[in-house]
Amino acid sequence: MHADDPNITWIEEPKLGLTGRMYLPLLAQGLTTTFKHISRSLRGDVVTVSYPDEEPVIGNPLIYRGVHRLNKDAGGRVKCVACFLCATACPAHCIDIIAEESPWPDREKYPQSFTIDELRCIYCGMCEEACPVDAIELTSLYNLTGRSREEMIFDKEKLLSVFDMTKDKEPMQSPAMGGTAT
Amino acid sequence: MLEAIIKIGLLIGGLMTAAAYFVLLERRMAAWTQDRIGPNRVGIPLTNIRLWGLGQPLADGLKFIFKEEYTPAHVDRRLYILAPLAIVATALAIYAVIPFGSLIPPFHIGPLRSDQPIELTVAPGVDVGLIFVFALASIAVYGVILGGWASNSKYSFLGGLRSSAQLIAYELPMGLGLLGVVLASGTMNLTEIIKSQAQQGWFALLQPLGFVVFVVASFAEAARLPFDLPEAEQELIGGYHTEYSGMKLILYLIAEFLHMITASFLIVILFLGGWHLPLITGDPNAETIGWFTAIARILVLQAKVVLVILFFMWVRWSWPRFRYDQLMNLAWKIMLPLGLVNLVALAILFEARQVNDPDRLSTNWALLVFAGSWLTFFVAWLLTGIINPLVADNRPQAVGQASSLP
Repeated sequence: MHADDPNITWIEEPKLGLTGRMYLPLLAQGLTTTFKHISRSLRGDVVTVSYPDEEPVIGNPLIYRGVHRLNKDAGGRVKCVACFLCATACPAHCIDIIAEESPWPDREKYPQSFTIDELRCIYCGMCEEACPVDAIELTSLYNLTGRSREEMIFDKEKLLSVFDMTKDKEPMQSPAMGGTAT
Repeated sequence: MLEAIIKIGLLIGGLMTAAAYFVLLERRMAAWTQDRIGPNRVGIPLTNIRLWGLGQPLADGLKFIFKEEYTPAHVDRRLYILAPLAIVATALAIYAVIPFGSLIPPFHIGPLRSDQPIELTVAPGVDVGLIFVFALASIAVYGVILGGWASNSKYSFLGGLRSSAQLIAYELPMGLGLLGVVLASGTMNLTEIIKSQAQQGWFALLQPLGFVVFVVASFAEAARLPFDLPEAEQELIGGYHTEYSGMKLILYLIAEFLHMITASFLIVILFLGGWHLPLITGDPNAETIGWFTAIARILVLQAKVVLVILFFMWVRWSWPRFRYDQLMNLAWKIMLPLGLVNLVALAILFEARQVNDPDRLSTNWALLVFAGSWLTFFVAWLLTGIINPLVADNRPQAVGQASSLP
């Protein structure tokens, strides 16, 4: 591309006044801006969170994408109907479902095993979007750690226990599906 | 002999520690400017005592020592090893003539005794002090160029080239800025320059134009923002020290901080009165001084240096980096003429005063010289704004119509 290419639009720099050309406003602006920030930081008003001494504040836990959970319905049964939509949507292929004939009359299948490899997961939230019955959701638990790779593969029981742990703080998101969030 | 060795030990120990702690201070300042906290965790090892992060320099140093010292295969080995040594050696050697206090009175403590007052300069009474400082400051450029050349890498080479051009360009205005000081004090001995300021007033107030030119040039000489083009990370990765690691890298980093400390010392000694602070630092003409005055002078000098360094760090986060052509324009089209104007104006004023008031007793002439230098300062700055040689059109010129663009 040459400088005389018709696709290039040349934009004129804004003209500086006399004080601007004498550098005065620039000097003053730069120093006052940084001085304000320094004095504010020295008074303790900083954005750094000293984790783990203090916990970060999560703005809206309902849209935070942390550890997964498998929701239960009112009867305490797993809501998942083993439709494989989440596993299909998952770009990281970290969801592994084994479906089985459902023992209950209101659905055909249920997951006999449902495992998520939390280390492969990229926490994109597409499983949550794909789920037709709002069974899988991402919670606001961010401090996920483990001592081995095996430990980080969450099975159905573990995912259901995450639901028990977080159901009071983070209600299910869709009211139509029995959730309490608005 | 022993005296000199003790002073050298004090100075090198002090400077190395200071350089390490200024790194910490710089990181904290950077953090505060960006609304962060900065490194505040490293304290005493194996305990939970944090001491506001004061252990950080030690940890950083240890880290550098234990890092692999990798030498790329494509470097010129001898120069590659010589370059960081050259830059640190010259940066430290400058302190031979820089006073870090005034005098200490005769003392007798145990086996140590001195019947003469000791001057707090490693090499006292060097009458070419300023020339020595600038000669060594120029040799420091070799460390940068050699490092850039010996690394045999494009980024290093560009960094080295930029640095050499920049340092050579800014040495001239720096020299011109301080010639006014030499004219006014009549000596190149740094100790005498401080004494002269204690008698006639700080040169920052008496020669504002020279002060501004000198400060800007020393920012550029120390390669600090907004003039840190030799190592602009976004453009050159690390500039001339891209290919260095381990202890060789830390030598470069120490040298950089030493340059900043040197620049602060020079600004304080040449323009901000050195150890002089009215009322508490005693009679500048006295041959010998008491312990209180001696310690007060040391503290005043060091406090001023720390304040100037804080200013260096504050400026670093305040203004964006210059473009290279702007840097060169600033040096050759603004700072050099301003330095010349300053020198000529001061020479005329001093000569006029010398002819009409040879004993320097008349208050009127003192006021006239003072007013004259401030008038020069404002007029020169205003003219710079009006003529404005900094605005340059550096858009790529269209082929065949090079002159049609404004």
